[in-house]
Amino acid sequence: MTIVNISRRNFVKKSGLSAGGFMLGLNLPIPNEALAQVHDQLSANFSPNAFIHITNNGDTFIYCGRSEMGQGISTALTSAVADELEADWQRVTVKQADGDEKYGPQATGGSASIRTMFIPMREAGAAAKEMLIFAAAKVWQVATSECFAQNHYVINKINQQKLSYGELASLAAHSPVPSKPKLKNKNEFNYIGKSLARHNQTDIVTGKLTYGVDTKISGLKYAAMIHCPVLGGRLKSVDDSQALTMRGVIEVIKIPRFNVPFGSIGGVAIVADNTWTAQQALKKLVIEWELGKNQTYNTKTYKEQLVKNVEKPAKTTFERGDLNKAFKEAKHIVKATYTGGHVSHSPMEPNASVVWVQENSCEVWAPTQSPADIQKTLGQYLNRNPKDIVVHVTMLGGAFGRKFKCDYVHEAAVISEKIKAPVQLTWSREEDTRTGFYHSINAQHIEASIDESGNVSGWLHRAAFPPIASLFDPSVDRATAGDLGVIEGHPIGIRNLRSESGEAIAHTRIGWYRAVYALFYGFSFGTFIDELAYAAKLDTLSFTQKLYLQNKNNHQQEQIKRSLMVLELASKKAGWANRLHLPSNQGLGIAVHFSFDSYVAMAVKVEVKNDDIKVLKVDCAIDCGQILNRDGATAQMEGAVVMAMSLSLRTEIVFKDGAVVNSNFHNYPVMRIADMPQVNVHIVENDHKPTGLGEPGLAPFPAALSNAVFAASGKRYRDLPFKPMQL
Amino acid sequence: MKNSITINNQHHPVDVDGEMPLLWFLRDHLAYTGTKFGCGMGICGACTVHVDGVAMRSCIMPMSSVVGKKITTIEGLSEHGDHPVQQAWLNNKVPQCGYCQAGQIMNAVSFLSTNQTPTSEEIDTAMQGNICRCGTYQRIKKAINDAALALAKEVK
Repeated sequence: MTIVNISRRNFVKKSGLSAGGFMLGLNLPIPNEALAQVHDQLSANFSPNAFIHITNNGDTFIYCGRSEMGQGISTALTSAVADELEADWQRVTVKQADGDEKYGPQATGGSASIRTMFIPMREAGAAAKEMLIFAAAKVWQVATSECFAQNHYVINKINQQKLSYGELASLAAHSPVPSKPKLKNKNEFNYIGKSLARHNQTDIVTGKLTYGVDTKISGLKYAAMIHCPVLGGRLKSVDDSQALTMRGVIEVIKIPRFNVPFGSIGGVAIVADNTWTAQQALKKLVIEWELGKNQTYNTKTYKEQLVKNVEKPAKTTFERGDLNKAFKEAKHIVKATYTGGHVSHSPMEPNASVVWVQENSCEVWAPTQSPADIQKTLGQYLNRNPKDIVVHVTMLGGAFGRKFKCDYVHEAAVISEKIKAPVQLTWSREEDTRTGFYHSINAQHIEASIDESGNVSGWLHRAAFPPIASLFDPSVDRATAGDLGVIEGHPIGIRNLRSESGEAIAHTRIGWYRAVYALFYGFSFGTFIDELAYAAKLDTLSFTQKLYLQNKNNHQQEQIKRSLMVLELASKKAGWANRLHLPSNQGLGIAVHFSFDSYVAMAVKVEVKNDDIKVLKVDCAIDCGQILNRDGATAQMEGAVVMAMSLSLRTEIVFKDGAVVNSNFHNYPVMRIADMPQVNVHIVENDHKPTGLGEPGLAPFPAALSNAVFAASGKRYRDLPFKPMQL
Repeated sequence: MKNSITINNQHHPVDVDGEMPLLWFLRDHLAYTGTKFGCGMGICGACTVHVDGVAMRSCIMPMSSVVGKKITTIEGLSEHGDHPVQQAWLNNKVPQCGYCQAGQIMNAVSFLSTNQTPTSEEIDTAMQGNICRCGTYQRIKKAINDAALALAKEVK
């Protein structure tokens, strides 16, 4: 067997190239070394790195190491690989990588995937391409500079001969791995910056895509679970006699508390031969909980306390200039207090996973944002090497930060170990709503001094919110200086500034929620700037421009420029100049916020009728540097508007006597289709490093909405949500 | 309860508690996982299927009420994923996480069978029971409009 034969067979079969063109290739002498390699590697495929696998017939598999939860990352990153690889996207199958450190950091959060993986993924593709070219050059015995790659082929510049990637796969496996592969220029991109459809959308619309909740394996049992309603409480007793009499119920299992930050808080699970039976049997349990010290937690009074804590001096976290002097010399001082409630992620797919613990193996199928954390926690629990915990990352049916914390997987592992069978644990919507890691309840108080010439001369900013750090250290009694870093780092850069952190002890689990603290900082800064503009009798756009441009710090000039550019763009598209000609019950509000290294501005148009707020239109401008997928970016902004609308207008998680009152979508009323405004997304084109968009789109919305409602009605909303459901 | 049910043109014997919702019979007994569990109380629409051609919430529909009926799930909507509503969904790049989309599509198909020229308000009313947490509503609406036009052409 020689490469000639392989080539002929595959060329004729796969490429449809004319025999004449192919025969030219045959006449070239094949180097012995290459032949020897082909003999050795006849059936070998080409897997130059963890991300790429090309078979001998050219089928190309590109692995995404980051979790796909609808944000489009598994299309964006793999298309960047395909671009550098000069692969034909139609020949590419995107695979979700299992949990494995060879894929680099897999924890998917902080809008960081594109920021951190764009270059490494492109390099992976570029390296593979250079190896394919090297192989082809060897076959043709020409210099690599005489070859180039295009659409799944390497082409010989001299005589236009072609070798397909499938043809070259075995040989390329022996090409030297380039240490510094050359990346393409922007004008050479095939996929980057375009609008590729997400790779799995056909499977979605046909119902074939499997999510964590859909995993089916032989011998699977089904479980449902109830948790203690109060954080820190524990199970006192459970009477399962009624539940066990139900047909189909297999076992009742007590789940222990996992003493790790994202660990299960424990509870009781029922295993049955289907999910519904398990859910029904849960209702037959007679459970007594010892509720513990958090049973006094009440969000209404807690929020009032947070307000008190920010309306009096608190612990200084940062100080610059001379704020006291600025305040003393002020012409006047403007102050306001902003608050916000807990929010639940509530993805459409509730927490669910399949785990199978066996004597010598443990396999997990989970919709997870952090497979490594599952490996670590289950490794500890089962006393095994984390590497021996196999985690298959499934599609996530939404996550928004919730599935970074995989307590539901820990629980399934406990059950599987106990019943010695694979188990699928699916939380009910009620458990999902009540056993969350919530966005932090919060209060902020800002005081700004305005000097004789109308400039903002001083800025006092107090914040009080139970921080995410409380998950790791329950003794934390307030947000840290780092948590308040946004205040001193804000591009307005007020010269005389002090930030202070007010007491805020956590009584529930606080976790990253899409946009995290940027949600309430975007709200307070964006709304307060609008309030300052009114006080200064300037329009908000001019006032914001003046305020930002007042900051002469060198290191913030880029932030200032890019922030203003998106704000001006959103304002212009929304018709800011004509805002005073809107019907009397309509208003336009604008805000900009820089978060996760991306710039987003929104102009929101509302109509207010009898205190009812209808969002009519949102113009959103973004600057995320080099854009990977325009359609994906646009979709993220459309989605961010809807999610931000829910938490701005209606939804909040309410605690009474330590427990969550909300249970399902009837009392956690997220936005529905009739609420949908027209959303227009405007993208600023530039060559800056690409940054993520999963979260930043939420940050400016609440302020822009508050500002719009004020413009329309004169009523100022400073508490999120504006119109909470009374529970 | 010994009876049978037709799902995507296949007969299946029914031997479960008559109170069991259709959703769980589909998912856990037959592994038709395209139909999703979202809320369990018929208020999110993720579990929408057709019962004799009409959109129903399978999570609150007891098996006893669907025995002998004809059920269509997302898997059976079209042979090659080429129903005009599915095509419109693809053309408009509707899905993000996609978890709710089977329910959205099943609901839209049922709706369009009763209204070939829907207004914006009528689409809102018809689709109000289907939640999409990723916020794809703008594209859903566009896709339904496109599908309505495509279906009208088909009829001609």
